[in-house]
Amino acid sequence: MAEVRLAARDVTRSFSSGAGVRGVTLELGAGEVIALVGLNGAGKSTLMRLLLGMLRPVTGEVELDGVSLPLAPIEWWRSVGHSVEYSLAYPELTARQNLRMNARLHGAVDVNPLVEKSLQELGLEEYADRRARALSQGNRQRVGLAAALQHDPSVIVLDEPSNALDPKGVILLREALRRRADRGAAVLVSSHHLDEVARVADRIVVMNAGRLIGKLDPGTPEIERAFFEIVRRDDERASA
Amino acid sequence: MRAALWAEAVKLTSSAVGRVGTAAIVGGIAVLCGALLLAAESGDPQLVAKLGPAADGGWSGLLAAAAQVTGAGGLLGFGVVLAWLFGREFGEGTVSGLFAIPIRRSTIAAAKLLVYGAWATLASVALAVALLVVGLVSGLGAFPAELWPAIARQLALTVMTAAVATPVAWAATAGRSLLVGVSTAIGIVIVAQVSVLAGAGGWMPLAAPALWAVSGGSAVSLLQLSLLVPVVAAVAGATMAIWERLQLDR
Repeated sequence: MAEVRLAARDVTRSFSSGAGVRGVTLELGAGEVIALVGLNGAGKSTLMRLLLGMLRPVTGEVELDGVSLPLAPIEWWRSVGHSVEYSLAYPELTARQNLRMNARLHGAVDVNPLVEKSLQELGLEEYADRRARALSQGNRQRVGLAAALQHDPSVIVLDEPSNALDPKGVILLREALRRRADRGAAVLVSSHHLDEVARVADRIVVMNAGRLIGKLDPGTPEIERAFFEIVRRDDERASA
Repeated sequence: MRAALWAEAVKLTSSAVGRVGTAAIVGGIAVLCGALLLAAESGDPQLVAKLGPAADGGWSGLLAAAAQVTGAGGLLGFGVVLAWLFGREFGEGTVSGLFAIPIRRSTIAAAKLLVYGAWATLASVALAVALLVVGLVSGLGAFPAELWPAIARQLALTVMTAAVATPVAWAATAGRSLLVGVSTAIGIVIVAQVSVLAGAGGWMPLAAPALWAVSGGSAVSLLQLSLLVPVVAAVAGATMAIWERLQLDR
């Protein structure tokens, strides 16, 4: 097992609606891409929010480089890049301004070269000086992804990163994630697109009703059918 | 802190809310005061009766009108901008990007308040200048030297009015909404007005600055006025604390 960078250990956090996560343990190792798949409401975003300190678990703990999140030095977040639920793109700022702001907030020193490289990596050069409000949803998502990746984080957490992307954007994202994982970054992505995550992930983890219920080999033929079979069996067990 | 200050300053100066808010506070109040000056000079007894100290006309009437309008209208303007600064992060979902970064969320909240304070101070200076321009354009002649304390009081009132609005920051965060912040600003205006009518204005920190300025400094003591400082400090502390403990659980 590669060095564990980010880990959830037996974490539980539920909401009054009944949704949430229960007793989830997940380790994110350096140099691997883990895909988190599940139906809507399975708890993927909640788990990601727990991993990023946006929610505190009721039981269990989240560790960054082996240290419980409340005790981890604030500077350690410099090595983390994320995009959860909303693309971080302020509508009144241009794509370039958004990226500059994000680079600074992540503690980057030499901001401009980072931003220009990132605009290029995600194919945003021609939109760089347009305000985010004037961009298509897909390009706004690219800005959010560029913001998450530009400071070269070694821990990356992305929630549904390819949702609004066009095929070109999907390929650019896949290459960007693979490059970083090959350089040692730990990557967690959630997605509904099983075929897509199978192309980039080293491991696929299935979530249902707030629990991790199984794994899928990225090379599994007819992976969507295999996914639904795992979920169906879990639902049947739960209702039995 | 520098990165957070820079980010908040860029957001405010690039936004329509920042521009419209500045125009409303500076241009809106100055033009309204000019209009009240014209009303005072119309000689209509009914109008003059409604204007109160502003009915005196001239520079002193203009400044009296400015104090009256700033206390309520300025508070609403400052409240809307402050509600946007804090509440928009929740309404637009951008707050998630303020987690998992090497800057404490209490620092981000402090940066928002400091940028707001700097902007409000600049707007206050601009309003004082705009009032002088309105007076000159209206043909009031050279500004009399004995009224410099009154213009200084107007400047202080505008800054203190911005400070009176600070509970909006806490409310917009607690309510996770810009609208909750705006509603709080309206609530502060009402509470301030009612406390003045009830005779408690001087001891009510949210009302004391306006009462002080409207009375020409006679109705409120320095001690009463200074009560605003601990109130603002407490609200700022509470806002930073709520940001530090923030969870995205709604």
